[in-house]
Formats: sequence, structure tokens, C-alpha cells
Amino acid sequence: MMLFAIFLKEWLKVRWVWLGLSVLHLGMLLYLYLVLRHQFRVEHSEMIWYWAFELRRLLYEPIQSLPLISGVLIAAAQFGPEMIGGRFRLSLHLPLRGDLLVWSWVAFGALMGAVLALLDALALYWIVGQWFPHEAAVSAVRTALPWLLGGWIGYFGATLALLEPAASRRLIYLGLSAAFLALLFQHRGYQEYDQVLPMLIAIALLFIPAVILPAHRYRHRS
Amino acid sequence: MNAAIRVEHLAHRYGRRFIYQDLSFAVPEGKVVALLGKNGVGKTTLIRLLMGFLRPSAGQCRVLGEPSHALSPATRARIGLLFEGHLAYDFMSIAQIERFYRPFYRRWRRELYYDLVDRLGLSHDHKIGNMSCGQRSQVVLGLIFAQDPDLMILDDYSMGLDAGYRRLFLDYLRRFLDEGGKTVFVTSHVVQDMEALVDEVIFLQRGGAVKQLPLVEFRRQFRCFGFRVDGNAPPQADGLIENVDLHGRAPCLYTFAEPAQLAAHLETHWPQVRLGDEQPLTLEDAFIGLTGKY
Repeated sequence: MMLFAIFLKEWLKVRWVWLGLSVLHLGMLLYLYLVLRHQFRVEHSEMIWYWAFELRRLLYEPIQSLPLISGVLIAAAQFGPEMIGGRFRLSLHLPLRGDLLVWSWVAFGALMGAVLALLDALALYWIVGQWFPHEAAVSAVRTALPWLLGGWIGYFGATLALLEPAASRRLIYLGLSAAFLALLFQHRGYQEYDQVLPMLIAIALLFIPAVILPAHRYRHRS
Repeated sequence: MNAAIRVEHLAHRYGRRFIYQDLSFAVPEGKVVALLGKNGVGKTTLIRLLMGFLRPSAGQCRVLGEPSHALSPATRARIGLLFEGHLAYDFMSIAQIERFYRPFYRRWRRELYYDLVDRLGLSHDHKIGNMSCGQRSQVVLGLIFAQDPDLMILDDYSMGLDAGYRRLFLDYLRRFLDEGGKTVFVTSHVVQDMEALVDEVIFLQRGGAVKQLPLVEFRRQFRCFGFRVDGNAPPQADGLIENVDLHGRAPCLYTFAEPAQLAAHLETHWPQVRLGDEQPLTLEDAFIGLTGKY
């Protein structure tokens, strides 16, 4: 029941932003679909194949930054209202362990982001699969995985920066997150992150225990 | 004496500036105790220490038997906190905020919340963010009542409230306290409100000096006398004389001493002073008399 109450509060905070983002994602995916359809209507399919697989031009770049934008906005919608006027203190006084509380929050935020990421991945697979073989559709999803991981980094980076009471540490969190993001957007072709992605995911998981630190510092400032 | 709050040899500092160096007092269980002091003496810091949002530089604060900076969830459930400015989740409605808090408290008394909030005449889907400060104070107080806490720490409940809402807040609080068994630690800038609410007062002064006594004792013992001076060397606070006010139309001095004891003291130490009549004091007058205007 407590978990339900926590999720209720988080939903009340993020619902409009999340619904707005859902519309944005659907809109961008529709745009991607229309662009691809248009290209196949005005160009020979051999030419498009040449662009995509010989020149290594990404055909679905329009959705590249969507997960990152979504992660940052979900974090802002979740933790902005907690920080305004020090409302975070209300939550920290709840009869619940502080670490469990913060992890429940980020679990909810990450879940909201994951729904959008899943939507992107499934839609990308379906859209690419309309004109290309199955292997190309799978490749599109694997190519987009670093971008989806970028959403995770954006979410946790913004969360750390919003929860942190000390301005200097806030800058450090933002700097580290920006550096990580820069690593994820280096590619110029398909599936270039396949080898390194498991390691990047493992590092990104460290954000989960890390969110406890700023919350702890907020509680015990001296 | 069982103490709901016990502060022992507390020291706290911001950078190199000490707010208190050796502060000690206790809030007995079942009493309503007001913390009074002028701006800047460290009331808010003390409340933050008691709420566990600051860790003491030295000494300790124990709240319901546990260190205030490491309260267990079970103990937090027994403490109702009112944050300065009636802090609440503005994005929730009247019904949503009750539904949110309910699962966290085993002794939740929903009827107390709606009894208070329904008097506002607002629909249950009314957003807290769209309420006036007075309306929000009712919601916040209703939530604290519903929690059925053993200890309430109320930080400047009067902030932003007009006289009507302030009175309403106190009326409901007193009625709730009539059930018995509750301890309240309260701060307010509206000193006169404390008269009908509190059992004891703690005067916190700059540097951490503290004076704690029952309100009736304070009202009975603390006196104000008019005086005039032969020459131009007015008396000064000296231990028996608590304070001298030369800013008003007529000068007056404040003391806990009996009139005869004061007269003898003046004759010995301040012979140039001619003691006048004892002046009637409101609680606010007495507070200013003790703590000074500056």
C-alpha cells in the first residue's frame, strides 16, 4: 500500500509531462515513418540501400535525442516539485527508510522512461521492417540502444543534480553525465556499440546506488 | 520526568559562527511548550535539528528517545511535523493528499482530516496549490491530526495566516489536545497566541542562553516598573534587572524580583533611580521586556 501511495504521488507529478512526451514520441515516430515512405516513393530502393549500407547513413536519426530529452524531462517533473520550497523534507519525514523511498521514486521514473523506450524500439523495428528485411530492422534497434541508454543517463544525471544540495557536487554530476552522454553519441554507422554496450550498461547501473548519496546529504546537512 | 524532547549540551555552528555552544532543555511529555526568541537566535536551526535535517556540531538532541538525526521510521510515525509556511504537496487535491498519507500511518484517523477540511466548503478534488495560505493551513493541520502523533513540532504555524485563520488553527489544535497524551513543541512570531495554548515557555536568546519556565510562573514573576533617573546614568541589566527599556515614552525596567527586593537592589547599586509603579504586561510586552527590542 505504501508503494502504491508513492507511485500515486509520482504519477500525479509526471503524468502531464509523460503524456506530452508520449505524444511527442508518437509524432516523431510517425514523422520517421512518413519520411521513409516518402524516400521509397521518390527514390529507387537500390539507392536507399546504397545510402544506408554503403554510405552508412542513419535513416532514423530524427529520434536520436528523444530518449535523452524524455529522461531529463521526467526527472525534472519528478524532482523539481520536491525541491521547490524544500518539499523533499515532507517525503523524508515519512515513516519509511530514506533509501527505499528514493529507490521507489527512481524505479517509477525509470519505468515511465522504459515504457517510452519500449515504444521507440518496437516502433523502430516495425517501421524499418516495412521496407527492409528482418535483419535490418533488428540492426536498427541495436543501433538505437545507445540512444535509449542516453535516456537512462539523462534521467539519472538530472535526478542527481536536482536532489543534490551542494552546487559544486551538482556541477560534478552534470559534468559526469554529459561526458557519459558524449560517449554514447559518437557513432557514424550501424551497431558500432555492440561490443562495448554491455560495459556501458554496467557502468550506467551504478547510478542506482548513487542516487542515495545526494538524498542522504540533503537529510543530514550540517 | 519523561521528556519527549531532550537537548543536552547542544552546539551548532555555520562555518565559524556558533549559533549555540551549550544549549540544554527538555520538553516534558504531555505538555505544550513554546520556543520563543527574536529573529536570528536560532529557532529555525533548532527546529531543523529536532526534525533531523541538520546534524548537531556537538551535544545531542533526542526526540522520543532517539537521536533526532537518526530517527527510525517507527518513531517518525509518532511525530507530526508542521513545516514553516504550511508546506504541502501543492500538486495534490484534498482527497489525493489524504489517500497518499493514509497507508504510512497505522493510527490514521481519516475522520479528523475530513472534519477539519470539510469546513472549508471546498470540493475534495480542489487542488492545494489553488488554496489560500489559511485554507492550506487547515489541510496541513488536518493531516497532522489524522496521523494521531504523540509529538507535534509546529514551526511558525502563524506564518501567512490572518487573525481569523490563526484563531481557527489554535481552536482546532486546542480541541485536539483536549483528548490528552499529546506533546507539542511550537514556535510562533505571534507571542500573544501562546497565552491560551502553552504550559511552558522556553526563551532562546542570542548566543544560546535559554530560560525555561511554566507560563503561569513567567506571568506571575516577571514584572515591569516605570522609573526616573536623577542625572543621566540609567540603570542597566545586571542579573537582578533583566532588561531596561529606554526607547518608549516612559522608561521602564524588567525583573523577576519582588518589588521590595528590587527596591533594595536599586538603593544599593543604582541609587540615582527612582522606582515608579508596576506596569501591567501582556505576554507580548513581557516577551519584549525579557528579550529586548533590538
